[in-house]
Amino acid sequence: MNRRHFGAAFIATFCAAALLTGTAQAEPKIGAPAPAFKAVDSNGKQVSLDDLRGKTVVLEWTNDGCPYVRKHYNAGNMQALQKKWTAQDVVWLSVISSPPGEQGFADAARANTLTTERNAAPTAVLLDPKQEIARAYGATVTPHMYIIKPDGVLAYAGAIDDKPTARAADIEPAKNYVDVALTEVKAGKPVTTPATRAYGCVVKYSS
Amino acid sequence: MIDRQLTTGRTLRRALAAAALAIAAFAAPAQAQYGTPQDTADLVRADLIAEPASIVPGQPFQVGIRLRMKEHWHTYWRNPGDSGSPTEVRWQLPEGFTVSELSWPAPQVLRVGPVTSFGYEGEAILLAQVTPPPNLAPGSNVSLRADIDYLVCEKECIPGEASLALPLAVGASSGGDTGTFDAARAKLPQPSLWPASFSASADTIGVTVRGAAFDAAALKSASFLPYNNDLIVNSTEQKRSSDGNGLTVAMARSQMATQIPDRVDGVLLVEEDIGGKTVTHAFELSAQSAAAAGGSSITLLQAALFALLAGVILNLMPCVFPVLSIKILHLTQHANESAGRVRMHGAAYTAGILVSFVILAGALFALRAGGDEIGWGFQLQSPAVVAALAFVLFAFGLSLSGLLPIGTSLTRVGNSGLLQRGGLQGSFFAGTLATVVATPCTAPFMGASIGFALTQPFQLGVTVFLALGLGLALPFLILAFVPALQRFLPRPGAWMETLKQFLAFPLYATVAWLIWVLSFQVGPSGLLAALVGLVLIAFGAFALTLAQDRSGTPSRAWRGVAAVSGLAVIALIVSVNMDRPATASAAQAAADSGGEAFTQAKLDTLLASEQPVFVNMTAAWCITCLVNERTTLAAPAVQTAFKDKNIVYLKGDWTNRNPEITRLLERFGRSGVPLYVLYRGKNEPVVLPQILTEQLVLDSLAQL
Repeated sequence: MNRRHFGAAFIATFCAAALLTGTAQAEPKIGAPAPAFKAVDSNGKQVSLDDLRGKTVVLEWTNDGCPYVRKHYNAGNMQALQKKWTAQDVVWLSVISSPPGEQGFADAARANTLTTERNAAPTAVLLDPKQEIARAYGATVTPHMYIIKPDGVLAYAGAIDDKPTARAADIEPAKNYVDVALTEVKAGKPVTTPATRAYGCVVKYSS
Repeated sequence: MIDRQLTTGRTLRRALAAAALAIAAFAAPAQAQYGTPQDTADLVRADLIAEPASIVPGQPFQVGIRLRMKEHWHTYWRNPGDSGSPTEVRWQLPEGFTVSELSWPAPQVLRVGPVTSFGYEGEAILLAQVTPPPNLAPGSNVSLRADIDYLVCEKECIPGEASLALPLAVGASSGGDTGTFDAARAKLPQPSLWPASFSASADTIGVTVRGAAFDAAALKSASFLPYNNDLIVNSTEQKRSSDGNGLTVAMARSQMATQIPDRVDGVLLVEEDIGGKTVTHAFELSAQSAAAAGGSSITLLQAALFALLAGVILNLMPCVFPVLSIKILHLTQHANESAGRVRMHGAAYTAGILVSFVILAGALFALRAGGDEIGWGFQLQSPAVVAALAFVLFAFGLSLSGLLPIGTSLTRVGNSGLLQRGGLQGSFFAGTLATVVATPCTAPFMGASIGFALTQPFQLGVTVFLALGLGLALPFLILAFVPALQRFLPRPGAWMETLKQFLAFPLYATVAWLIWVLSFQVGPSGLLAALVGLVLIAFGAFALTLAQDRSGTPSRAWRGVAAVSGLAVIALIVSVNMDRPATASAAQAAADSGGEAFTQAKLDTLLASEQPVFVNMTAAWCITCLVNERTTLAAPAVQTAFKDKNIVYLKGDWTNRNPEITRLLERFGRSGVPLYVLYRGKNEPVVLPQILTEQLVLDSLAQL
């Protein structure tokens, strides 16, 4: 490359970097403290990330009407993962961010009904109808998955697995990123694949 | 147009339930679980359409998957962005049919809160080129089928599928739905004329388009949408900056992009304010890593030096060598002239070359600015130019043989009177001729430097061309300006006339080669026109000789005959151009040499399966290419190595214009052939030098 061009490109990149750092990061940084949040769960209990320090926390964005969410619930895949890891002292928080009137919206009662009907086993279901937690985490789709280590540092953000389809048949051959990452976190190892492209239905942001 | 819609819009049970739930959620969020199913076929009307009304055996045609979305609903681009899923197409074609990759229209950027996706609202036509086999029976019917999977979203997302069929009659080509397809093609991103590069830091990725002449005041927005979904944070606003070098778009690097590739492909969307209206342009870019390009690319100074060297080497090429030799013979007779006069000859010759090169460069830049995808040697893609060159060289050869009494100032040895009067003009003309005859030749170092020059603005690029011209002029210029060297020239004598006549033969050989080139470009009657042209030139020469030998009326008559012959020759040049065969002989030529004909679609398919591929970009008029093919690529050892390593040999023929080949050349910073690229499966492709040796090729194959 022409040295002059290289210089120009370098300066352009540098300026761009300066500009970009000024804007809010749309995605939280892996390896940095996870964004703090406070929310009310479907049983009316206050849940704060700060209070969960010392435990591994999973955030699962969900929308029961979304075909991609249904793929994992109808096949029992999500519930199995919830049971496997909550049994190992992991705090599993399902987050519902759909506002009233949109697909997937649930008030406390409906959220609990859904849990019972689907035989789901999250530690709690967080109600986020104003998408405050969703914005803080840059959640784009359901299911969007996050793992926070006991020290409050974000360890994983992305898809549940590597088969971005709505076909239940794709669950079996898929590599489950969340399961792998939780295994690594539990073993105190760094997460091999800490960021993936989440797939699914768009989170129903109000604006 | 045959356009029968067979959309079944069969929907998955899950999808039905999802849709039901979507509606239920609107009506009564907490209670209803089931409701009226909403068929995705209502949301996306999909059909398969073809451009021609009926298809011709062996002749490629365009088909389109047309998706018409319900208002506010959208389907997705090849990179869906933060959510969604690209439409997938599985072709079910009759035997012998092949289909290219899909061409995707430029997408819309769809933003909802912090979620940024890329897709289509309204209507989108995904294009593909289908090639039927040559042995289809006219009058028969064939049916193409495409099974598609798509995700259609408004706020809810519903997966759908459809099986689209398109019955087609085999017959003569006739008008079809060109209007729909022209509109669809207009929505595809245009191939970018400018080279692009990118650089990555920990947080950002910047794509720079060099030489893009955007008016900064009119530019409203510029954003880059990569094909790779893991590269950037889609929702972070992209920052643009422009300087004299071009336009840079800076994006936030995604945490998913743990490894930065050597090349980033994607679409640049540019919004410009033109006369108060916002116009959106989309360009397809292939940005090379600035860091990786650092090793292979060159500076303007290097390009100019390479060009100078290439120019000097050009003198030894069979087409230029006779011109130079004749000029040097002249010098031996200038021995009694003043040193100043000799220098003026050198200067005039150099000026002739430089002026010709500026004209050539100007034409090349002007045509490229007009959107033509051409490069060095482009003029030889026109049969008229090839024929005209053959005629000029033949006339020049006749004149060396002493059979054509014009251009004497250039060729006649020992006529000091003519040299005194017309000498300087003659030297200028010799320079022009040297340039004209040099254009079919490619010297080592030329590819990289001319390729570089064409990426520059004209003012900079022309310096490379001038350096090439100066190199071409240099041997004669040095002789003319350093009288001491002239003492080494042999003394004039009768041997000079013999040498001169001998030098006609490299020219005749070049003529023979040009006619052979022509045989790849025109049909038999075009070739006949060219050969008749040669006969007429010889006849014209005969008439002129008679006219000079005699005096009075017969002389005038013979002069007239010669003039008529000349006019007939010009008419023939025009007629050569008329006889263009319908199908290119490129595939045939490639098959003859044991390779397969290059198409981008074929290459893409092979590369997708990580198949090693050797690409040879060649042209019948490129001597270097032919020498490489005959001596190196056709060598048994090389052929065996290809076979042993299971390397597919693709041969692209640039004898005639071919934008697909031009684009591939440009991707490797070249503007002309030869180009040899070895694609090594997962590893980055390597470019081999323009002059091949057997050992060199075998060594690079061995690295596989």
